[in-house]
Amino acid sequence: MSALMSIKDLVVRFETPRGSLEAVRKVSLEIPFGTSIGIVGESGSGKTVMSRAAMGLLSGSNVRREGSVHFDGKELTAMSPKDVRNEFGTGMAMIFQDPMTALNPVRRVGSQIAEGLRVRLGMDKKAARARSIELLSLVRIPDPESMLRKFPYQLSGGMRQRVMIAIAVACNPKLLFADEPTTALDVTVQSQILQLLSELRRDLQMSLVLVTHDLGVVANNTDFVAVMYAGEIVEQATTTELFANVKMPYTEALLKSIPNIEMKGGTRLPVIEGRLPNPTDRPAGCGFAARCSYVQAKCTAEHPPLVDAGDGHLYRCWYPLGHTIGRKQ
Amino acid sequence: MVKFFRQVDWFTRISAGWLLVVAFCAIFGRFLPLVDPLFSDFDALYVGLFTPGHWLGTDTNGYDVLANLVVGAQTSIMIALISVGFGGLIGASLGVISAYRRGRFDYVVNTIFNIFLSIPNLVLGLALVAVLATSSDPSMPVSVGRRITVIIISLTVVIVPILGRIARGATLTWVNREFVVAARSMGMKDKDIILRHIVPNVLPAVYAVGFLAIGVVIVAEGALSLLGVGVIDGVSWGAMIARVAGDYEFAPHSLYVPVIALAFTVISCNQIGDYLRSRLDRREGKI
Repeated sequence: MSALMSIKDLVVRFETPRGSLEAVRKVSLEIPFGTSIGIVGESGSGKTVMSRAAMGLLSGSNVRREGSVHFDGKELTAMSPKDVRNEFGTGMAMIFQDPMTALNPVRRVGSQIAEGLRVRLGMDKKAARARSIELLSLVRIPDPESMLRKFPYQLSGGMRQRVMIAIAVACNPKLLFADEPTTALDVTVQSQILQLLSELRRDLQMSLVLVTHDLGVVANNTDFVAVMYAGEIVEQATTTELFANVKMPYTEALLKSIPNIEMKGGTRLPVIEGRLPNPTDRPAGCGFAARCSYVQAKCTAEHPPLVDAGDGHLYRCWYPLGHTIGRKQ
Repeated sequence: MVKFFRQVDWFTRISAGWLLVVAFCAIFGRFLPLVDPLFSDFDALYVGLFTPGHWLGTDTNGYDVLANLVVGAQTSIMIALISVGFGGLIGASLGVISAYRRGRFDYVVNTIFNIFLSIPNLVLGLALVAVLATSSDPSMPVSVGRRITVIIISLTVVIVPILGRIARGATLTWVNREFVVAARSMGMKDKDIILRHIVPNVLPAVYAVGFLAIGVVIVAEGALSLLGVGVIDGVSWGAMIARVAGDYEFAPHSLYVPVIALAFTVISCNQIGDYLRSRLDRREGKI
């Protein structure tokens, strides 16, 4: 199975007055054709920056990107901004976290969907309109024709996210990044949107990168999972392997902090104490050492490498967990 | 439309009405059956209000105040609209592009804006007019046409940084919104992103402040006339004020009438600008 996108040693730094802030540190990731990959991590772990940097969407004079991003036979980091732009929409596309801000408030839904079709695929007005209606019914919006005339503020959050998805898949991308697509939505709508994404991925034969902080989302919707912490991948495996056989204490802590219906009333929900290490001043050892309940002397002294446990299960820990925890999926 | 009109408060309606009257005078004033505004009626020098034949009286030159007011609206409004129009176009373009591009271009543009904003409007206008509209030959005074052109240019220069700053500030709040990133992630060119995504969001703020700027410019035109560098020998509201400013005690109405007209117009512009801003704010609040 060859990779659609392969990210190698991706580093993203923000130059700030207080020093260089390394948001993504040597991340390598393969995204095979037609699969769904979950990227999990808490806020500030670098998952959004990583996915945007992979696409080349980070702009600003203080951003430094190193490493290589190979997409569909082309090296993105070596291409001119214009050539990279030609990959957007048709090659790769992105869905954003907050559908409130990701749609232009003063323009009608119809013109926002048609925009990609007209600019990227060169469709005329009529064809773009017909295709927009098709796309809106694809994302299961009832009465798509009247939807075209609406403004974003007239829609509910779930509807807006559907419109966002319609815009993103308009030009049939091969790779779709979904950056926390359900975080801003309420729980009942979340599952509908995720269901929709899975179906679209199958029907349109896309690869999907699902960026989220919700392990439950990942468990049901992805083939592979990469867990990120402090700008690094700390564990990576197939979804079934990861949930059955956790190696990294951080992933375990994440799993334990999910509320469980079998918990007795009055039990405290386990939380991960402490905070992410300061990105301008990373500790010498493992980034998770200060918060880890299994911490030992070596953890604070030496930075653990990403090692392969066999069968592609990667983890970054000196003392991996050998036992099965977590609930059955 | 009817429903829309009902929501508008009285002050705004009166303001809009007054501006319509002024606009009508500006467009059709020339064709109305009035006396020539620059005809000196020596039989009726500085007569008061409601004199038959001169319903708003005459000034110390015997010029008919009503005729000057109606015909003069054209010059005053034209100067205001053209300079705010050009100033807004240039200023808003610079503001939007500099805020979108950031970096050195933004730094340079913003510094220039700040320098111009640090000079009081009137001083800047006065300096520009003094430099551009001078004649070294006393027997060849600067023509009215040239004076008007120079005033328009000067006031445009005054307006550019005002609206430029507004556009730049508004753009900064929109440029980091996700829909701009989303547009880029669909492969849109910067030019298209600016025109289709940024400009429609920035325009309301520019419109609202643009109306306020029209008021500022009308006042500036009057003030420049008073200082002796306006359209002093032509027909404009500023010229009316300038001509009688020295001896208004003989004909106070000939000063009050244009001043009141000017004040009404400025207040109306401010009101309409405020109204537009509040309307557009409400829409933003819904989002």
